[in-house]
Amino acid sequence: MVKKDIYILGIESSCDETAAAVVKNGRIVLSDVIASQIDIHRKFGGVVPEIASRKHIEKVMPVIDEALSRAGVELADIDAIAVTYGPGLVGALLVGLSAAKALTFALDKPLIGVNHLEGHVFANFIADDELEPPFLALVVSGGHTALMRVADYNSFELLGQTKDDAAGEAFDKIARFMGLQYPGGPEIEKLARGGNPAAVDFPRALLDQGYDFSFSGLKSAVINYLHKEKQAGREISRDDVAASFQEAIVDVLVKKSIQALEATGLKKIVLAGGVSANKTLQEELAKAASAVGVSLVYPKQVLCTDNAVMIACRGYYKFINKEISGLDLNADPALKLV
Amino acid sequence: MLILGIDTATKVCSVALCRDKEPVAGYEINLGRTHSEGLLPQLNQLFERTGIKKRDIDLIAVSIGPGSFTGLRIGLATAEAIAYAWRIPICGVDTLKAMAYNLPIEGVVMAPVLDAQKGNYYLGMYEWRKGRLSETKQAAVVGGEKLMEKLGSVNKQVVLMGECEKLFSQKLPDNVAIAPDQVRMPKATSVAIAGFEQAAAGGAVEPFAIDINYIRRSEAEELWEKKQKKI
Ligand SMILES: [Zn+2]
Repeated sequence: MVKKDIYILGIESSCDETAAAVVKNGRIVLSDVIASQIDIHRKFGGVVPEIASRKHIEKVMPVIDEALSRAGVELADIDAIAVTYGPGLVGALLVGLSAAKALTFALDKPLIGVNHLEGHVFANFIADDELEPPFLALVVSGGHTALMRVADYNSFELLGQTKDDAAGEAFDKIARFMGLQYPGGPEIEKLARGGNPAAVDFPRALLDQGYDFSFSGLKSAVINYLHKEKQAGREISRDDVAASFQEAIVDVLVKKSIQALEATGLKKIVLAGGVSANKTLQEELAKAASAVGVSLVYPKQVLCTDNAVMIACRGYYKFINKEISGLDLNADPALKLV
Repeated sequence: MLILGIDTATKVCSVALCRDKEPVAGYEINLGRTHSEGLLPQLNQLFERTGIKKRDIDLIAVSIGPGSFTGLRIGLATAEAIAYAWRIPICGVDTLKAMAYNLPIEGVVMAPVLDAQKGNYYLGMYEWRKGRLSETKQAAVVGGEKLMEKLGSVNKQVVLMGECEKLFSQKLPDNVAIAPDQVRMPKATSVAIAGFEQAAAGGAVEPFAIDINYIRRSEAEELWEKKQKKI
C-alpha cells in the first residue's frame, strides 16, 4: 500500500503576526501566509497586547483561507490542525487557538497544541530537509535564550537558559534606549555594521558557569556607559556602541554553544528564534562550529521570525507520534521550553 | 432553520440550539471558568446530547459586544471558524440587544448593562412593541453615578439587566427593578433567536465580515492620542 500523504494546517498568533500554513509530510511547504502587524505597533514602541488581539481576530480567518487556497488544498484534505498554545501574549494566543479548536470540532479532525519555541527549533527541518536529530539547538528570541539537546523529534533536554533578560529583550531595550524604532534587533544590527565591535569592552556574564545565560548586567552596563559619556560631554559613536553591545551578546552565545557541543559530543547545531536572523550571530557561530567539526543550520529570514510553517512542521511530528490535544486545551502564556 | 447560538461576552459561557425561535437545547455555565477551556466541550455535548448532526446547522449567531474583549474574541473566532468549515452564514448580534430577548414583555423599558471597567457601564435601552424589539437608546458608555439618574428619568417602568451586581446595594429609583437572576445575564438562546430574526431581515453574512463592537478603543490608543494632543 502506498503511504498516504499527510497535510497539516498550522496556525500561529502568539505575538504580532497572524499566520497560517499548509505543510505536507512535515517538510514540504505548500503555503506560508503571514499578516504582520509591525507597522501598527511601531508608533507605540512595542507590541500592545490589546491592539495585537484586535488585529488577530480580523485576520485569522482570511489568513487561514488564503493558506488553504494557495496550497490548493481543501479543508477536508487536512489531516490535523496544529496551533500555537504558548508561550506568548494570552489574548493573542486565544484567537488562533479558538479558531483552530473550532475547526477541528467542526470537521472532526485532530487538534495538536504546539509549543511556539519548539516550533522555532523545527523551522530548521524546513530549512534543511536532510536534518535529523540528534542535535544541539540554540534558541534566541525576545522572550527566551536557551540551549537544548534535541535527542529525537519528540524528546528534548534543556541544558541551560537565561536567568533574567532574553537576548532579544536586551536588543529591544537597548534599541529603545538609543531611540531606535521597534523592532530594535534589526536596527542595532544595522548600526553595528558600521561600528567597531572592540570599541567598548562590555561584560560577558556567567561565561564559565554552565549553560545558563544572563543579559541584564550587560544591558545596565550599556545604559551606564551611554549616560556617563553624555554627562562627560564626550561624543559617542552610536555605531561603535551598537557593534560592541552586539559583539558581547554574540560572544556569550557562541562560547556557550561550543562548550555545550564539546560536552555533549553532538555534531550538529541549529539556531532558532527571532534573533537567529542576526547575521553576525550566524557568521560567528558558523565559524566557531566549523572549527570544532560541527555544522550549523539556521532558517532563512522569513522562517526565523514568527510563522505557521514551523508550527505545522512541529505539529506533524506530534501527529505521527499520536500526541493529540483535547478540545479543552487552553492558552499558556508562560509555557516552558521543556 | 437550525441556529447555533454562542455567547461569551461576560463570565457566562453559553451555547444553544434553536429551531427558528424555539429553544431546542442550551448549555450555560456561570462559574467564571475560562471560556477557552469550556466553550468547545460545551458545544460538543450539545450535539452529542441532542443527536443533531453538525452539518444540519443553517446559521451561527454570535454575541459581538459590547463585553469582555477577550471573551468576545473567543466567541467570534469560534463562530467564524465553524461557519467557515460548514460553509454557512453567520450573524453578529449585539450583546445588549440579545439580553432584551431574555424577557420579551411589553410596556416596560429593558435596560441591559455590561461592565465597561473603572466604574463605567455599557448601557442600551429597548422596548418590545407588538412582538418586535426596538432600540430606544443606542448603546454607549455611562459612568456609574450617572446610570441611576438616567434610568430614573425614564417615564416608564425600567427593568435593569446584565452585569449590575455592584448596583444591588444602591437605592434604586422607584421606576427601576432588577431582572431576576435566571434571566439577568446573556443567554445563547436569546442570541440564536435574535440572530434568526436578524437573518430573516437580511442580516446574515459570510464568515469573515463580522467585526466586534468594542465601543471603547484600547487604552494604549487612548493614551497615545492624549499625548499627541499635548504636543
Ligand atoms: Zn517567536
